[in-house]
Amino acid sequence: MNRPVIVSPHNLACLGTLAVALFGCASPPPTPPAPPPPQVRVVLLPQTDATGSPAKTAISVTSGAQVLQLEQPYALVETDRKGQLTERVSKAAEVQARYGDVLKIQPPAAETVVLRFLPGKSQLTPESERQLPDLIQRARARPGGEILVVGHTDRVGSRDANDALSLQRAQAIVNLLKASGFSEDLLSAIGRGEREPAVPTEDEVAEPRNRRAEVIIR
Amino acid sequence: MRMFSGNHLLPHLVLWLTLCLHSVGHATERSGVFKNMQGEVKVIRAGKSLPAASGAGLFEGDRIVTGPKSAVSITLRDGTVLSVGPNTSLDLTHYVFEPTSQNGSLLVSLVQGTVRMVTGIMGKTNPELIRLTTPTSVVGVRGTDFIVEASQ
Repeated sequence: MNRPVIVSPHNLACLGTLAVALFGCASPPPTPPAPPPPQVRVVLLPQTDATGSPAKTAISVTSGAQVLQLEQPYALVETDRKGQLTERVSKAAEVQARYGDVLKIQPPAAETVVLRFLPGKSQLTPESERQLPDLIQRARARPGGEILVVGHTDRVGSRDANDALSLQRAQAIVNLLKASGFSEDLLSAIGRGEREPAVPTEDEVAEPRNRRAEVIIR
Repeated sequence: MRMFSGNHLLPHLVLWLTLCLHSVGHATERSGVFKNMQGEVKVIRAGKSLPAASGAGLFEGDRIVTGPKSAVSITLRDGTVLSVGPNTSLDLTHYVFEPTSQNGSLLVSLVQGTVRMVTGIMGKTNPELIRLTTPTSVVGVRGTDFIVEASQ
């Protein structure tokens, strides 16, 4: 007659110990096959704001129906051969060691300079015009250095008219830079109209501080 | 870390495809400019292999190919920076950016190798229209800085 076997946590632990003991006495166990290398790896890098303080950052990684949201700096996702995603947190040193070449090739951060126009004109103030040779020099010091001129207006006039005016002002500066010998391929004139005032105002308010061009050197 | 289904991506994909269709015919405009360069870097454009150089343009549809000791960075028109590591093959599959409104969309396809992407203006204006794909996964971005590596 069979007696019932009572399985308690204690019994299970004993069985486990027995199994390990038996396994240990046998010939060396076959080494488990190595997990396949990750096919894709994504690392989220830390983000800083304009003042250098840590800023909020996030990316999502999708593989098939699986979606992971990465929000912590150095969060890392890997996929296996089956496309399954797994997440862990990496470290600055690990990222530096593995991706040093990629980090090193990053171009220097862009610089921005604000130029001003004579009231009601597309002509720069003398002080602003005197800065142009320095801007060219700074752009030429960069590999593939570009100069972008972004024109802005105040809110007097229609939106469309201000788009045209801001572009015209940006183009006037680009023409001066081109005349000074800077490559046309690396120059851009952009008109942002009244969308990005330096000083917010009601519509139709004349505001000299908003009539300006931002020069981006990158 | 949150997990959820991918269905919410559908409206974004529709908008993105719409922008794709708008881009037809604008392929002659530069999408970006080559910046720092290390070693030999090639661009495959319309089936031809050309050497890349600092200051040269990158166009929609181009493939960037780097060798074992080479690397290169590119700034796209909206300020997105792509830093491409060694042994990499990367396609600028789709790029649209309209600088007055600052709207656009971007699709980068990493065939193999490593790329760092730091998103620019579009990371703020149209983050849902920025995509980086690999042969097995899609990275959707909300305005930030990340590295993707794909091995064969």
